[in-house]
Amino acid sequence: MVLTPHSLGRAARGRSRRERLATVGLTTAGLLAVVITFTIIALFIQGSVPFLRKVPLGEFLGGTRWAPIHEPASYGILPLVGATVVTTGIALAVAVPLGLLAAVFLSAYAPSSVRRVLKPALELLAGVPTVVYGFFALRFVTPLLQGFIPALGFWNGLSAGLVMGIMIVPYMASLSEDVLYAVPRSLWEGAYALGATRFETVVRVVIPAALSGIGAAFILALTRAVGETMIVALAAGRTPTWPPDPTKPLLTLTTAIVNIATGDHEATAFIWAAVFAIGLLLFLVTLALNTVSYLVIQRYREKYA
Amino acid sequence: MTGRRTVGWAFAALAGAALGVSLVVLIVLIVITALQAGPITAMRAVAEAGISLSLRSMDVPSTRESLSYSTIAQVEAGSPASGLGMARGDALVAVAGVPVDRPSRAWDAVGAAPGGYEVTLPVAWIPRSEITLGALRATSVAGETRVVLTSPSPAAQGGGLRAGDVLLSAAGIPIVGTRQAWEALVVAARTQGTPIELTLERGGELQVIAWDPTARAELRFVRNPLRAWWTFLTTLNEPRYPERAGLFPAFVGSVYVVLVMAAVAFPLGVAGAVYLEEYAPNNALTRVIEVLVANLAGTPSAVVGIIGLEVFARALGAGRSILAGGLTLSILILPMMIVATREALRAVPQTLREAALAVGATRWETVRHHVLPYALPGILTGTILSFSRALGEAAPLLLLGAFLFVTYVPRGLGDSFTVVPLQIFEWATRPQDGFATVAAAAIVILVTLLLVLNALAIVLRNRFQRRWSG
Repeated sequence: MVLTPHSLGRAARGRSRRERLATVGLTTAGLLAVVITFTIIALFIQGSVPFLRKVPLGEFLGGTRWAPIHEPASYGILPLVGATVVTTGIALAVAVPLGLLAAVFLSAYAPSSVRRVLKPALELLAGVPTVVYGFFALRFVTPLLQGFIPALGFWNGLSAGLVMGIMIVPYMASLSEDVLYAVPRSLWEGAYALGATRFETVVRVVIPAALSGIGAAFILALTRAVGETMIVALAAGRTPTWPPDPTKPLLTLTTAIVNIATGDHEATAFIWAAVFAIGLLLFLVTLALNTVSYLVIQRYREKYA
Repeated sequence: MTGRRTVGWAFAALAGAALGVSLVVLIVLIVITALQAGPITAMRAVAEAGISLSLRSMDVPSTRESLSYSTIAQVEAGSPASGLGMARGDALVAVAGVPVDRPSRAWDAVGAAPGGYEVTLPVAWIPRSEITLGALRATSVAGETRVVLTSPSPAAQGGGLRAGDVLLSAAGIPIVGTRQAWEALVVAARTQGTPIELTLERGGELQVIAWDPTARAELRFVRNPLRAWWTFLTTLNEPRYPERAGLFPAFVGSVYVVLVMAAVAFPLGVAGAVYLEEYAPNNALTRVIEVLVANLAGTPSAVVGIIGLEVFARALGAGRSILAGGLTLSILILPMMIVATREALRAVPQTLREAALAVGATRWETVRHHVLPYALPGILTGTILSFSRALGEAAPLLLLGAFLFVTYVPRGLGDSFTVVPLQIFEWATRPQDGFATVAAAAIVILVTLLLVLNALAIVLRNRFQRRWSG
């Protein structure tokens, strides 16, 4: 190819056109997350309006009876919130201590060869689909627990919560381990130099230094438990009860959505408005929790970067 | 000093135990589930001998008791079972001497019989009512139902029954109806063995005859685990009978949905990440986008399912199709793809970009020819992890209304579909014998696939990390 001012100019024009095209395309893709989020919010608010027009907010948030397909219908969400709180609480009571201790072991005690094997193993286990955990809860954990608690129902919040906890352990461990590992070596070494044992270093120096990150990991585990659907759909049953009792069937926020969506209702039925109202509540709660944990982790990263 | 050391050791042991217990519980979970799938070999062996079983029960008259038995719900034409004369509606009474009260008993008997892949076992069955007994009529005499044998079948005649006999009880079980007369024989044969003590009234006199209405034969079963699993994976699903359950439609559905998702989420995810990492100005909007991406990643999958239903299935008119399913999963996976790609891009040394820009490359050329190729292994790792997450995801598709009973193989983007995790969910919720086994078998296949994919991603990442750090 002969380089002439003309051909160079054409090449440059082609380059700058490609450049503009790339910039526009990439920016569009980057803005997609914004579009999706606002679509979600707009859609949920729009869908919830007819619901909130018919059902007073106080009755929705304060009512203790959830019976959307009965006559007269009743839309008190407390049984669902209570069920979600119970299963989430049980799950976190299992996942947080186990996950945190496992993370401490990996970052402070395990030799690096062990860490190199166990960290990926944890990540592998975190990839097991939740429907598998649901099957496990229904088929093994519930029968096992019935040996100790004869009053335990075939569907119950206890075994769903416990198994959800087991499911979250690898997630919690992996997140907290990242956080602990990010604490600068100089902090560990400073503590050792002052004569602290490894235990004292971990408990008095490293964990306090990583506390905000651990808090963020906790919040992520929390949103995971609140949003979990398949385990509770399989093992916790579909009956709204108030007050929530972990030995009885429970209907969580997510399973209430599943219940209505799989219930073969007309697309125009009022019951869909209830789906949007529950969805909006779930979305807002997780939006708030995620934002907090994201900002905390960002600040934490900046602190030690 | 010793106190401090003891506390330290105790803590280390506690932390180690927490990790160990968690790993052990998770691994035990997978192993126990895998073991649950064991009977599938025997179930397929029974299905391939040609019979599908149904659980039935008979209320014992004047008691609250209910006794179960198994009927042959289906006999495949040309199968060994049909060659023996078994037919739809017959009751299976025993396999290898084991009384069959419910279908799982027959499968277990075939599974437990000593021998190699092929075993020939004695089976006993009672042919359906018109063959065993003949024509019956119920009459009411003084408020009591009397069951009269109006025209005995050849089998009944051979057993000593005659036209006009009034059937009263079989092995102590009162006979109160024409259908129930046969059920009483079946239940009596199963619980008390044969011959059955049949009490009847002939010409005004009570008579007790010992009668064996069972047909017996030897049936060959082929217990080949490899073949059983292969058939399970590659046949259409027969939703009524777990022994004929097949994962093929769900498997194909999963592949299609993930392909659609990949076509959408991969380019958009990579492009979004390139924008955020390489193009986005450091301003408030960028930070908002980052927060929103993190949020989308944490949005409950049930909420994503509602979006899929409302936007793709209803507003865009895609219905409950593969297209709608793939797009719904894209929303779920997009933020994961963005986060993973950004991490891979961040690992690309800044010097590489500066060198490319210094020799006159434009920003896009730098990204296209230098940054992306360098980051490719990392991007691929993130992609595999995101896609394997999508393969296991059931909740959004459940909401989308993916069909739980799909018995055909989807052919195009507009077809309705099911996916493997949803099929597992559907099987797991069914109380009948055998569905837990096929659910467990599907879990084994799904988890194996995911473990292979994840292991691949981890190996890829480790090689990649070593290359850059070394």
